[in-house]
Amino acid sequence: MGYSINAWPAFKNYQNTRYRNYLYTSQGLRCMGSTWSPLAPLKGFGDDVYLIGGEPHAASAAGTVPEEAREDIIAAEAAGLGFHSCSYLKLFNGEVVRNKIAITDKTVKEGYPKPDVIWTTHLCSQHSKWYQEVSRRLGGIPMYAIDMIGGGNAEKDPKIVNYVSDQIEAGIDWLERVTGRGFSDELFVKAVRNEIKVLVLWGNICALNMHSPAPLDERRLIALFPPAVVDRTTDECVQLYETLLEEVRRMVEMGESVAPDQRFRIVYFGIAHTYGHPEMARILRDAGAEIVASVYTFGTCGNFKGIVDGRWTWEPIDPQWVDDLDLSTRRKAITELAKIVLGWPTWQGVRSYWALESMAKALVTEFKADGLLLAPSRGCETDFRNGYIALQRIFKDQVPTVEYDTDQVDVRKMDLPGAQRKTELFVHLMEARKKGRA
Amino acid sequence: METKGSKAIIDRFRSITDNTHEYAKSLKAKGRLVAGYMCTHAPEEILYAAGIVPLRILSPHVSQATTRGYIHETYCSFSHDCAYQGLHHSYDYLDLIVTSSSCIHMGEAFNVWVRFAGFKEKSFLIPYPHIIHTKPASAFMTESFGQLKEFVEKLSQKAITNDDIEKAIKTYNHTRRLLKRLWAFLRHEKPPITGPEVAAVTLAAQVMDKEECNGMLEELITLLQTEPGEAPPGVRLMVSGGACDDLVVFDLMERLNYATNLIFIDSCTAARYFWFEVPEDMPNKLRALAEGYISKIPCPAKDNVPGTGEKKRFRFIQQFIEEFKPDGVVFLYQRFCSPQPMDIVALKPILDRLGIPYTELELDSTVPISQFTTQLEALVEIIEGVAA
Repeated sequence: MGYSINAWPAFKNYQNTRYRNYLYTSQGLRCMGSTWSPLAPLKGFGDDVYLIGGEPHAASAAGTVPEEAREDIIAAEAAGLGFHSCSYLKLFNGEVVRNKIAITDKTVKEGYPKPDVIWTTHLCSQHSKWYQEVSRRLGGIPMYAIDMIGGGNAEKDPKIVNYVSDQIEAGIDWLERVTGRGFSDELFVKAVRNEIKVLVLWGNICALNMHSPAPLDERRLIALFPPAVVDRTTDECVQLYETLLEEVRRMVEMGESVAPDQRFRIVYFGIAHTYGHPEMARILRDAGAEIVASVYTFGTCGNFKGIVDGRWTWEPIDPQWVDDLDLSTRRKAITELAKIVLGWPTWQGVRSYWALESMAKALVTEFKADGLLLAPSRGCETDFRNGYIALQRIFKDQVPTVEYDTDQVDVRKMDLPGAQRKTELFVHLMEARKKGRA
Repeated sequence: METKGSKAIIDRFRSITDNTHEYAKSLKAKGRLVAGYMCTHAPEEILYAAGIVPLRILSPHVSQATTRGYIHETYCSFSHDCAYQGLHHSYDYLDLIVTSSSCIHMGEAFNVWVRFAGFKEKSFLIPYPHIIHTKPASAFMTESFGQLKEFVEKLSQKAITNDDIEKAIKTYNHTRRLLKRLWAFLRHEKPPITGPEVAAVTLAAQVMDKEECNGMLEELITLLQTEPGEAPPGVRLMVSGGACDDLVVFDLMERLNYATNLIFIDSCTAARYFWFEVPEDMPNKLRALAEGYISKIPCPAKDNVPGTGEKKRFRFIQQFIEEFKPDGVVFLYQRFCSPQPMDIVALKPILDRLGIPYTELELDSTVPISQFTTQLEALVEIIEGVAA
């Protein structure tokens, strides 16, 4: 019997409430942008700042209201966005085109809620173009994109940290001008500490999956990181993850798991395509194979020690470190924020193949993988596509490795029967390897 | 038959684009170091200041499957083709390969060279802003260019002085001015040179020693100034899009069943390569280079003015439309390229307002002549219909 996460209802409620607040607020400031942005600067402008992040909103909409999501993608294509473009981007823009928006509690609201400002980041070649298109379609929303530049180990490169920090600092001045609001350093510093704390706490929770049985499976990992991506700057969010960390620690002590049948431990590289294809997860579950670690769920909004002595480790950062951070000036707070954001695992491999491969090696070793499942997303040019090819070379003699193409939210782009056959083969390979060992 | 006058010089340029390796090896035979670069954001001047001839890596337009084992199939054909050049060892004679961090696709083509084509020890990736209009971009680039300078000094075992860089800046600016003068001929109703010829010369300039290139350009321009235009005025077509080094596409645009003139190409293999200058005589030469490269017509992957989200390239496109007066626009981009088509979505309403018809051509390793011909002729028919 699998363990049920007690903290789950509070997580779901947090996510829904944040989205509803964005949709229905009649006052305050609506802010839009990539969730892969430092969010705390927005919170320096008051408690009535409501956020909607591109990737998590698109992902959760596809999972919650798939029919709407499909219509959104088609509408974006009909409006001129290319078939090969990012499907998160198309779903998001499709809502603007259709002038309606759907959120995780299944509310479908007619009339797109216009943001007051767009505050976002640029990493892949389409990343901020996404919001340029939204801004254009909505008549010219003021927009500020931060060039995150990226690269392996970027958070430890002073040149890159300064570059990003300078942009954030200039961005705060811009926000003051464009919103007409004053900036509170007190609110900002509080939000920075919360933002960093949540990222570190989620890293700690994920790292507990190194234990056997792993307390969490991929489905729960996907379900439990949304508060961190939706709004990680609040006291409430910190409390959610502190509570969850305690609960998962207890699970480990008791040998509990949400999916206790774990004959095979799988490490997964890819965006969570199981939003659209739960049948893929079912093949694994029936064979007692669980995804216990993935860069996407761990690294989209979680931080780890990263590169230490030239090699990646998924060892967690002590949460106490966050409490001790010196955030006594705006610049210091900005710098720490820039470092934590640049340290996200999902960003390491976008521009640095060596960092990606180091992460993969550590993921397989530290999480004691029986198999490596690679599922690159055809619509995502940064989804480690080339890493996937290299990873097959690296791991082919070490653990069973299978790759199939998928897409983050566009179900049309997946060869489902082919992927199912490959997944079955994957299970057989892991079984054979285990027997061979015995 | 031997050609004379301007045609002879144009043929020489075309021959260099068709036989890049032969040309580069002739430089090597003279004792020159030759460096490959993959993106026009690489500051060639630093290499040139060290006595190295920078040469742009171009595609072979060979239908091949080799690269599918290294780069995902949904990367553009230009990146596949450039990666293939490395895997095929076509450029083994290069002393160095450099690129600036640019679009994801070309970044991976560079990685293939570094990892699998034997260039690991003789490669340099220039950290480069992905949004070039940010306030701190200039300082960041200056530092990056300093790192490249140090790397090149070690490789060439030659200290690069400020005077060396200044001389290189002036040589390159001269090339840019000459190319601009060449392109200015295309504004005329009956230019003495055709668009495809200008495209070939511009492409050749990207693989040539600039001093030699400048000499040929000066001679060509002098001759053209005295020659009458030959081409009968036809429908004026402007191209806007991404990298295209396949001159067959441009030739095709003037070989339709209608009279047409290719009068401008907004792409990184054409006007975006040279339509800027680096400030001269600035005390900090690396800073000057940074300022110059920031002033380039932005690549769509890097174009986002902080605060407004404006695409600065659109200003240039509108300027080119005003100056070169196209009757129609051909959006030409690599299949699977993401930033280019995203700009096209926003450009179409601008062209609609200006009353300029357009069409889209999607490039791959090989050119579908019949399909493109049909699309281009349909565009011309629309234009003529509009005119009537």
